[in-house]
Amino acid sequence: MPELSTKLRQALSQVQKPGRYTGGEPGSTYKDKEKVDVRMAFCFPDTYEVGMSFLGEKILYELLNRHENWWCERAFMPWTDMKQQMEQLGIPLYCLESKDPLRDFDIVGFTLEYELCYTNILAMLDLSGIPLRAADRDERWPLIIAGGPCVCNAEPMADFFDVMQLGEGEQMLQDICATVETSKKQGWNRQRLLEELAKIPGVYIPSFYNVTYKEDGRIEAVTPNRPGVPARVTKAIVKDMDSFVPPENFVVPMVGAIQDRASVEVLRGCVRGCRFCQAGQIYRPFRERSPQLISESARVLCHNTGYDELSLTSLSTSDHSRLEEILDRLNSWAEADHVSLSLPSLRVDNFSQSMVEKTTKVRKSGLTFAAEAGTQRLRDVINKNVTWEEIERGCNIAFSEGYTSVKLYFMMGLPTETMEDIKGIADTAQKVVDLYYANKNHAKGKGVQVTISVACFVPKPDTPFQFCAQDRREQLREKQRYLLSCVHSKKIKVNYHDSATSVLEGVFAKGDRRLGRVIETAYRHGAFFDTWEEYFDYDRWLEAFRECGIDPDFYNYREIGLDEVTPWDHLDVGVTHAHLVREYQKALRAETTQPCNRQCSGCGANKLLGGPCFDYHSDHV
Amino acid sequence: MTTIRITFEKCGEAAYISLLDLQRVFHRILKRSGLPVYYTQGFNPHIYLSFACPLSLGQESLCESCEVKTEAENPDLEQWKETLQPYMPRGIVITRVAVAVQKIAEIETAVYRITMPATAAPALEEYNAAPSAVVVKKTKRGQKELELKTYLPQIAYTVVPEGVAFDLKLPCGTGEALNLNPSLLLGYLQQNHNIPPWECRVLRTGLYTKTGEEFC
Repeated sequence: MPELSTKLRQALSQVQKPGRYTGGEPGSTYKDKEKVDVRMAFCFPDTYEVGMSFLGEKILYELLNRHENWWCERAFMPWTDMKQQMEQLGIPLYCLESKDPLRDFDIVGFTLEYELCYTNILAMLDLSGIPLRAADRDERWPLIIAGGPCVCNAEPMADFFDVMQLGEGEQMLQDICATVETSKKQGWNRQRLLEELAKIPGVYIPSFYNVTYKEDGRIEAVTPNRPGVPARVTKAIVKDMDSFVPPENFVVPMVGAIQDRASVEVLRGCVRGCRFCQAGQIYRPFRERSPQLISESARVLCHNTGYDELSLTSLSTSDHSRLEEILDRLNSWAEADHVSLSLPSLRVDNFSQSMVEKTTKVRKSGLTFAAEAGTQRLRDVINKNVTWEEIERGCNIAFSEGYTSVKLYFMMGLPTETMEDIKGIADTAQKVVDLYYANKNHAKGKGVQVTISVACFVPKPDTPFQFCAQDRREQLREKQRYLLSCVHSKKIKVNYHDSATSVLEGVFAKGDRRLGRVIETAYRHGAFFDTWEEYFDYDRWLEAFRECGIDPDFYNYREIGLDEVTPWDHLDVGVTHAHLVREYQKALRAETTQPCNRQCSGCGANKLLGGPCFDYHSDHV
Repeated sequence: MTTIRITFEKCGEAAYISLLDLQRVFHRILKRSGLPVYYTQGFNPHIYLSFACPLSLGQESLCESCEVKTEAENPDLEQWKETLQPYMPRGIVITRVAVAVQKIAEIETAVYRITMPATAAPALEEYNAAPSAVVVKKTKRGQKELELKTYLPQIAYTVVPEGVAFDLKLPCGTGEALNLNPSLLLGYLQQNHNIPPWECRVLRTGLYTKTGEEFC
């Protein structure tokens, strides 16, 4: 075990929770750095506690480290006290395992989970002494790569990355590492390496594309600037979810992570087609993992980590066609192994009595339902095919089972929304309170707590609502005030947050390459940890936009024409433009679309599978 | 029911694992081990675990320990050690798993090996010459002044390759009994002689009972 340097010991003695910066957790991987060919630093641009909750990193960490001659390590954004110590003492950002600085690695990869983490990426590169812009780096610097959902519109961060990965990393990242290994052995320069990497499905090399603009600021075209580069990059996927074993070892954090439990991914994609939801579109097509593999690997995972809670994760776990079988298999060993099950994403409409029983054998926790909108009309607009009758049925089952708290998720600022819809949010919560007291089997002597959590809707790329303008802050504030005036019960608690972060999220979600300068300027003016309310400074951002001469309203408060070239047109996630237009027009008419396991809506994502997603002749649902 | 003591080293990176986190780590490792440890009998059963005189964050030790209980007869404790070690965090090395002889409450003193940079030697000389060395000790009931010289009249250091080193024997009582942390001396040397505490290493080498026996 290497000695910690005196400098590092000094820094650690001055900061809160130093265990976040020392590594060594059970399950972490150590190799002899002299004996490995490729070293990758997997960076998460938020704190240790947030990053260690992220399943994607656990999947890729294990996949890469299964290669004997590759070593994947972890780095996180240090909290402000540690960042300050590192700057003062001249400690470059390092990986937790080897304590080697990021610039010593072959590949430095970042996850783009959320638009407001962008400044943290620059802060982490800067802390490592790595030049921020790809144009300023040659083969002497690590290859700086990105992955994650935000790559579906990679453009605002395009200037900073050598390589961006569109889609799922299981195969793509291994192909990248293999190419880097060859490159090192052959002594390729950076250009040659990038040209080889561009051949890997899903890989996007931003510097290989030129963007031209119209006079009014809209994009004219995005075109490859050399031969052999695809005009559109197509997302990489894992066709068969049983083709690789989910992680059976987690690095188990000692300083508590937010999601500190075992989790197994049961399916990928979503059949629902909610029109506001980016994940529901970009993770298509829908693919299930078999109950046997889920149960077997989950058991090994719980055994290896010692976790006593197992969570079945996915966008919509209850849509797994064999969920009952999964639960039966898990329950055959869970109790004896002291493991309790939790299903974080349940839907009201197929929430059943037996499912509640199978998941609450050990402990009862709160229940959450995502209703998303307060009236049936608006739920039809957004294609959240949930009816009040279904909410009523789901709540009644839960109340009879002893649940006393219900959390309802809503959005505000949705397309076509009126004050009637806002009042509907309060009315829905009130009806749930009334349901509880009308239910004779509710928990004896206990009251009910209904929490309404209202998020500000942000139009996202690759969704039918990408064409819509975002609500302005004043409109959202007025709606928030009106909602509060509609709530009359002490049993109802309303949570909402300031809309300033949503504005920026909207700008960067739909932004183009010109925003790279704004992100860099804001960072130079001290912006980082924008996801943390205490560090977010809206005025600093507005100042950065002014300094760069860029109007943020152009990106989020403007409707996008149905025939307009978007900054993400050359990044193909599978769902076609024609489908998005069709769904948008149906939304305006408040017409719903069936979930795709019942009827194919022709979104186009099945081309990634090379055939239909479902066997519609069998009795699937 | 037998009380089993797991004795371990806590060095390097592991020095930064807090007691709270260490409890969780041990809980998980014991759970996954499947060893027949005793679970508390309640609505929410958990493994009975008790750590003896836990260290301050950043200090290292050769003699940390925690107690568990078992209802098993003649448990194979060598096998316990082998089962538990592979899943321990880096820097935690189990040295011994044995039936507990004493109770944690019998611990009276701890011995620490302190290593400092060579530049600290004049400061230690001054400490030895000073008639008094008063430090402020934080207790649960607020702050109180304490004369270090009562417990540590002289520091007999030797020159080592890393600088200077000496052994420190300090009261290490549990509960209401007096407990002095070596950081009191390091704090005094920092405040009065500008010796940076992060350049000093604190390694606990032994715990002793009232009768002077090594705690086990």
